[in-house]
Amino acid sequence: MLGAVALAVGAALHRVGVAAVLTGGACASFYTRGAYQSLDIDFVVVGPATQAAVDEALASLGFSRKGDRYVHPRVRYFVEFPRGPLAIGDDYQIRPVIRDGRAGRMLMLSASDACRDRLTAFYHWSDRQSLEIAVAIALNQRINLSAIRLWSNQEGFPHRFEEFTAELRRRRARRRRS
Amino acid sequence: MAVTFTSSPFGSRGRTGALIALRLLGESYPRELSRLLDMRLSATQKALHSLELDGLVVGRLMGRTRLYQLNPRYFAAGALAAYLGRLAEPEEPFKARISALRRRPRRAGKPL
Repeated sequence: MLGAVALAVGAALHRVGVAAVLTGGACASFYTRGAYQSLDIDFVVVGPATQAAVDEALASLGFSRKGDRYVHPRVRYFVEFPRGPLAIGDDYQIRPVIRDGRAGRMLMLSASDACRDRLTAFYHWSDRQSLEIAVAIALNQRINLSAIRLWSNQEGFPHRFEEFTAELRRRRARRRRS
Repeated sequence: MAVTFTSSPFGSRGRTGALIALRLLGESYPRELSRLLDMRLSATQKALHSLELDGLVVGRLMGRTRLYQLNPRYFAAGALAAYLGRLAEPEEPFKARISALRRRPRRAGKPL
């Protein structure tokens, strides 16, 4: 459900020419096949866009602006647009991927970047839930572990990266046994 | 007495002051910041909210208190911290206010 709403919103934005990338928990939900759920759907706008164009795209789906977010009378998820730039830690050269669905086409973080995005919360705030989600993404998707290792070192968290990979190994072993 | 800053490059005294304070303190909450900046609590909360929207600070609940810090996930977090550190250098009266705060732990029940 979350994925379907996110895709519908992303496609609506794409239709009016707003380049926006799905990030955060909703993006993680896609890559964990719904194992992780979030109430907010975050898009970071990565190109020129007017407020009117965003309003128009969201209104076409029945969302209306309420303060900083867009809400829908029959959908429990809300849509937000955190300020850019699109970045993960110090890295702002992010290359989004295209996702096609029945609703249309949208931009989102790659699985590796969604994993890094969750890892930043684990690195900076010791947020174990974010570690769980990063591991779940790595279990369900093909990710570039060596690039994540390099980035983790550059961010100053080599030990935390080792904790992540140790957890990932444990989960993979458990999955093989079961 | 109202705290004045040499400059307000982040748009207002409240926003700049809150950022400098968070750079120096590491973490703080609206009431502490409003006392330090000698601003109304509502004005301080408004400044923090706008900084949060800009992605420069983040807040999290600790019990019933919302604790704020500079956003470590901001893409220019290192550069921002360095800039705020530089901005803090000439603000001697403000730094003296911050230095007067006791923030180190104290065993419960120990007399002050």
